[in-house]
Amino acid sequence: MALLKVEHIYKSFGGVKAIQDFSIEANRGEIHGIIGPNGAGKTTIFNVISGIYPADEGKVLLDGKDITRMEQHLISREGMGRTFQNIRLFKGLSVLDNTMCAFDPRSRYGVPGSLLPLPKRYAEEKRGREICMGYLKMVGLESYAQEKPENMSYGYRRRLEIARALTCEPKVLLLDEPAAGLNPVEVGELTELILRLSRELGFAILLIEHRLELVMNISQIIHVQNFGKTIASGTPGQVRSDPGVIEAYLGKEEC
Amino acid sequence: MTLYTHILTQILISVVSVAGVFVLTGMTGMFSLGQAAFMAIGAYTSGILVTKLSAPIYLAWPAGVVLAVAVGFIVGLPTVRLRRDYISLVTLGFGEAITALLNRTTALTGGASGLTGIPKVTTLWSALVSAVLVITLISLFKNSKYGRQCIAVRSDELAAKSMGINVPKVKMIAFLISVAVTAYGGCLYAFYTAYVDPSLFGWKKSAEWVIMVFFGGVNSLTGSVLSTFVLSGLPEVLRFLQNYRAIIYAVLVLLIINFKPAGLLGEWELTPRNLRRIIARGRRVQQPKGVN
Amino acid sequence: MQILQYVINGIALGSVYALISTGFSLIFNVLKFSNFSHGALMTFSAFTGYFVAAANGWGLVPTILAAAATGSLVALAGEFVAFRRILIRNTSPIYFFVSSITLGTLFEGIVVLQVGANFYNYPRFFGKPLKLAGLVISQSDIIIFCISAFVLVVLALVIQKTRLGRALRSVSFDRDTASLMGIDVTRSIQFAFIISGALAGLAGVFLGINYTLYPTLGSLVVKGFIASVIGGLGSLPGAVIGAMLLGIVETTLISTIGSGYAPVFTFLIMLVFLLVRPRGIAGSNIQEKA
Repeated sequence: MALLKVEHIYKSFGGVKAIQDFSIEANRGEIHGIIGPNGAGKTTIFNVISGIYPADEGKVLLDGKDITRMEQHLISREGMGRTFQNIRLFKGLSVLDNTMCAFDPRSRYGVPGSLLPLPKRYAEEKRGREICMGYLKMVGLESYAQEKPENMSYGYRRRLEIARALTCEPKVLLLDEPAAGLNPVEVGELTELILRLSRELGFAILLIEHRLELVMNISQIIHVQNFGKTIASGTPGQVRSDPGVIEAYLGKEEC
Repeated sequence: MTLYTHILTQILISVVSVAGVFVLTGMTGMFSLGQAAFMAIGAYTSGILVTKLSAPIYLAWPAGVVLAVAVGFIVGLPTVRLRRDYISLVTLGFGEAITALLNRTTALTGGASGLTGIPKVTTLWSALVSAVLVITLISLFKNSKYGRQCIAVRSDELAAKSMGINVPKVKMIAFLISVAVTAYGGCLYAFYTAYVDPSLFGWKKSAEWVIMVFFGGVNSLTGSVLSTFVLSGLPEVLRFLQNYRAIIYAVLVLLIINFKPAGLLGEWELTPRNLRRIIARGRRVQQPKGVN
Repeated sequence: MQILQYVINGIALGSVYALISTGFSLIFNVLKFSNFSHGALMTFSAFTGYFVAAANGWGLVPTILAAAATGSLVALAGEFVAFRRILIRNTSPIYFFVSSITLGTLFEGIVVLQVGANFYNYPRFFGKPLKLAGLVISQSDIIIFCISAFVLVVLALVIQKTRLGRALRSVSFDRDTASLMGIDVTRSIQFAFIISGALAGLAGVFLGINYTLYPTLGSLVVKGFIASVIGGLGSLPGAVIGAMLLGIVETTLISTIGSGYAPVFTFLIMLVFLLVRPRGIAGSNIQEKA
């Protein structure tokens, strides 16, 4: 069964049809790229899948479970991890604590344990730290655990966002323009990281990206969006030669 | 009792309430302009139980705290799901309603002339123990899972939800903890001054607490405690400033907001580790280089 | 007949609340925060109106003008002192709360310093109440209602029809885009504060006429807040409708259960309203941007 199945979702804001009939089926280990010009509704697709906006129509199934109308935090706990286009880390928390926040909903102690020095609390905190350090190590930030994210470079902050999303133990990982603002070296490292995560953790990845070379290199399937509609989807090779895609990206050829 | 014990006791009682406000405002980024009304609930409930029903204190004080928390739950219920403005607006209305209620129910509360005859139980020492206890609880809370989630919610609600954080629940927990602590501060207060009246618990009191938290540093409990000492101690020591109190606070905070928005201490906390660092730095300064 | 009397008194009271709630909503719309200094600004302007005009034996109109002008100027100064840098630095919106609360204590502190805890009364501007077919309508109610209605209609026209109004609406909708479109955002915000301050001054004088002038008069701003919440936070028409409803409910409550308990019940009504219909009457939907 597909890990993520999105069936014919629609979403409009007032008169603007941000998504019209978007569908996707992503399996374990697959990387799906979503590309398209600005304003094509790519981020809105992520926002609907992760529950920020309710879909007007259509269904979202996560590992067979209908999550279309679920609350955002419950969707995350079902196994949906995501990053944001404009990095949204928690100010006032260290790198480690940023990832701990994604573990905390699974931490097994309650309000009494939060106020009192109970043994259960320290055991759970230790368990959480170990898990989080594991993910920080995976993205190469283990030596920055006590830093403040505000003091880190853009590339490291992007990685921290990925580590935080990983701490949600996602079945589906949504990456919203992870390479935006990175230099070529960092993009190379990021590409490797995404491929390694996909290999080692075996979840499904959905990737919104402007840098075509990155998407083309690592995605098995590419969906091209324009004005809220899917104008093509298929392997990188198929998409590259699709006349509709060329038109959307380059405009009609005059000669 | 000397004047200084009196001032110190009052400051310590304020520390308790401000520590409660710190959880809500400093950590979670929510503003309650009716927080003093919860202090009133604590003060009046315990006071009435003791004076009118001669209940023992060890029952009356918890009763005051529990009632405040129960009322806080009802006030918080419609607001925690909405944007933060609502909790400020609703608590402000709540404060006015409580003041009206206290003024009106004369038979029970003494109305505008206040509730008198409360036994004087709180001493400098019990105030000190209470303050230390509350500070300990809250610093434990700040480093716990809910404490982290509070800070996450303050920083970015949407991202917090995306990480599986139940935002309304976290907001409610922060609100109720702060209500409980403030109500306890009310018990301490009523059993120290032996007298309470509704005018003590207006929105300006709540605003003062918010100002103290921000003056000290948004994310620093140490800062909040420190600024409570400075801001409530200063006008007590310098009597001639008493009338200018509100204006001095306001000017100080406006300066801070414009020029040092993180507050006096920002995020710095007095932890054993930070303390060791300071001491180490101090030693380095003291030892001239030629010694080694 | 009794009900009609409540409605008439309620609308008169509600029109003052409408001045408060629109003044508050205007700033809320533009900067997306609740301006808690609004109440203290009402007190400050009402007292200035008293000392500058009414105490010198001038009539209602000079008093109103003095109070409104004070409100505008002080609001403008407040914007510069307390909000400008937060806006420029784009720091967390929670600083707006702190700033406005601080500004509120500052205004109220100054008033207390000047007048102490004393009560002042505006001179009697109005004659005897009119009796009309069994209804009693005070002249002050009529005049307050007429002035409020006139001001609100003019405000609506300004916001809908003029260039400044259009700029204000676009800044409320999306500050960044408005700025990209060449709209002077700072000027629009200043404009909003000027209007909001004038409304605060006007409301302050009317409240002073209805009750007395005292340093914590501004806490009546809570009526305007409740009206905005009932009407739908951020909606100007909602703020007016909410204010009228609140006025009618309140006069009814005061006549039936007494003025002491009325705030308790209006608060409970707001709480229930929020549970049942959090978006308010106008159904405004203010969401944090995703």
